[in-house]
Amino acid sequence: MSNVQTNGDSDLLRLISRGDEDAFLTFYRRYQGPVYRFALQMSGKVEIAEEVTQDVFMVVMRSARQYDAKRGSVAAYLYGVARNFVLRRLEQERPYLTALDDPESEYAGVAASDQDPLADLTRNERVEGLRKAVLALPPAYREVVVLCDLHELDYAEAATALECAVGTVRSRLHRARALLTEKMRAEERCAV
Amino acid sequence: MNEIDPRLLEGLRALASDGLREAPVSVETRLLGELRKRRKVARRNLWIALGSGTLAAAIAIAMLLGSRPAPGVVTPASAVQESAQADDDSMDDFYRLPDTDYLPPMESAMVVRVQLPVSSLRLMGLPVSEEQAGDSVQADVLLGQDGLARGVRLVE
Repeated sequence: MSNVQTNGDSDLLRLISRGDEDAFLTFYRRYQGPVYRFALQMSGKVEIAEEVTQDVFMVVMRSARQYDAKRGSVAAYLYGVARNFVLRRLEQERPYLTALDDPESEYAGVAASDQDPLADLTRNERVEGLRKAVLALPPAYREVVVLCDLHELDYAEAATALECAVGTVRSRLHRARALLTEKMRAEERCAV
Repeated sequence: MNEIDPRLLEGLRALASDGLREAPVSVETRLLGELRKRRKVARRNLWIALGSGTLAAAIAIAMLLGSRPAPGVVTPASAVQESAQADDDSMDDFYRLPDTDYLPPMESAMVVRVQLPVSSLRLMGLPVSEEQAGDSVQADVLLGQDGLARGVRLVE
């Protein structure tokens, strides 16, 4: 394991394509966190996040050779693969049920408690409120917020992951932030 | 750069740092199991491929050597005759090649005309002078249903 821990991503992917277990483990441990969190923040569901993480690294295992460094960073590539799996899973879910309404959602309990208008907007509550608001965004807006604001990808990397133009990322992010700000202010008005 | 409400920015930062979760160990375990399975399958496929290649090469060599009446067949067949039925009588005109007793009985036979180096006739027990050794002679080779040579008949 120690031999490959310092290897770059391209070297690791080359070794993975040959079935190198140490290289795979190093690569997995390097990127599983961001992939898992992305899937969780996009879906709001732990089980989807786990499945998507597994699916993403199965793709890596099967087709590590197909990664082309000229087309973007490894992180952008992984986010792109994860995004496709997440969207597919969300489409398979009941179309009218958001993660917030779903009793199986990780955040369902939090959502119920937030319905009390007299509750103080503590930091945790604000975070949960924002998490809810992000999850309630349409997927096209949600993914840019998750990638650019929560995972700190720059516009170009996000555009690579989302397979769209940088301008599209910029405009969607602008709109998404406006929606979130509006939602945040509305919640504050309710709380007062 | 998109403008962002400072309070939204603060909230997003808090959200980003909140719950830096990781995939459970079970995911890693499942993936490792899958990787090992894939490696095992890949290794097996490699051995099958190598084994098939070796077997094919062995068959090709065996057929080449087996159908060759003697070392040094220099030209391809110029005529082919096929007999649907063959028995030991069909061997009457042919010199039986050495070490063919272990071969299965002929059910069908094929005669292939070839040019043999005269020197190869020594293998059939015929006397060959040194002067003639470099020449070639036309001969019929009797092949069984398995493609293995049973006998040789001199044409000239």
